[in-house]
Amino acid sequence: MLRFFAAFVVLQAVLFGLELTPWAQEYFVVPWTNALAAISAWLVTVVDPGVASEGKILRSTVNGFAVSIEAGCNGVEATIVLVAAMLAFPAPWKNRLVGLAAGIIAVQGLNVVRVISLFYLGQWNMRAFEWAHLYVWQALIMLDVLVVWLVWVRMLPRTGDSAGPTGPPGGPGGRSAAPASA
Amino acid sequence: MPSVTRSPLGAFVIKVFAWLPVAFVVWYFAAPLLLWPAAVVVELVARAGFADLVRGTEQAGATLTFATSLKPGTSSAQSGQVIVDVNMLLYAFGLPLYAALVLAARETGWPRRMIVGYAALVPFVAWGVLADFLKNVAITAEPLVASQTGFVAWQREMIAFAFQFGSLILPTVVPAAAWVLTHRAFLERLNGGTDSVPRRSDCP
Repeated sequence: MLRFFAAFVVLQAVLFGLELTPWAQEYFVVPWTNALAAISAWLVTVVDPGVASEGKILRSTVNGFAVSIEAGCNGVEATIVLVAAMLAFPAPWKNRLVGLAAGIIAVQGLNVVRVISLFYLGQWNMRAFEWAHLYVWQALIMLDVLVVWLVWVRMLPRTGDSAGPTGPPGGPGGRSAAPASA
Repeated sequence: MPSVTRSPLGAFVIKVFAWLPVAFVVWYFAAPLLLWPAAVVVELVARAGFADLVRGTEQAGATLTFATSLKPGTSSAQSGQVIVDVNMLLYAFGLPLYAALVLAARETGWPRRMIVGYAALVPFVAWGVLADFLKNVAITAEPLVASQTGFVAWQREMIAFAFQFGSLILPTVVPAAAWVLTHRAFLERLNGGTDSVPRRSDCP
């Protein structure tokens, strides 16, 4: 458990440090954030045609209200946490890759819901927007990451399974988020 | 593959969602009390590490006000010192998340786990608050004010990283990590394994 946590913390710090570099910002974070705004606008226009995106901004063409997707709201940090948790946990690489793909989709999917909900909350009530933006959605996204990770750990092959030659520690049960020893 | 909605994990997630609103309400109204230890930690660290910069702190509700030795300008007509307000709630929303996780799991000795997790989270709340203050005076303040702090380029970079890490990563990750560490036996059962770790011994 201690080895997992040590690897988790180191991976997280490294990935977060990489995210802050100008190179990562220019070639990954900014395009990612712009794509998030575009996807959100595309989904919303199915029921509300008065919405458009421009860069990282989601804007109402009806009343001019707009939200800008900033760091912390683009889901990159949540994704980093999930990636660090899955890479740090002992598991076969095949399971890691499948988990990462499905997990990133799950986290980013909920993040799209976050962006769209905040867009409409802000038009309804700014106090509700601030609360949801600063506190509630932050907790919900992290809960999403935790649940995705727990589901992934649950689906890992047990040590005794033929498909799981390198199952995680935790005794005979193999798959476990809670190895009995460090 | 087991159905998530019928699994213990699904039931657990539903309980978390049930507890989360309650935890948020309690957290918001009890914030002055819940955040007092973090304010004390910030005061101690500020006095120990930035004594020439911070003259004192004062908590009012969930806001921590830093009284600094910095002057708002160089003109003799501009008197007084710069004060900085930090909203501590911004770095403490992990507390209701942790509480909801603990209450949803409701393991033996859950009050003890709650206290242990709370104690573990307090220093990280203090980290975020202090980094916010330092970012305010060293990076986002007007050049006349920022230049008085005496921080050099690499120190400003460190402050920027500490602020980003303390605001974007730590407030969400620490409660989840603390919960995992204090609920190893619960996780073992949640994942379909046997409860090989005695319940009473998995809480540090």
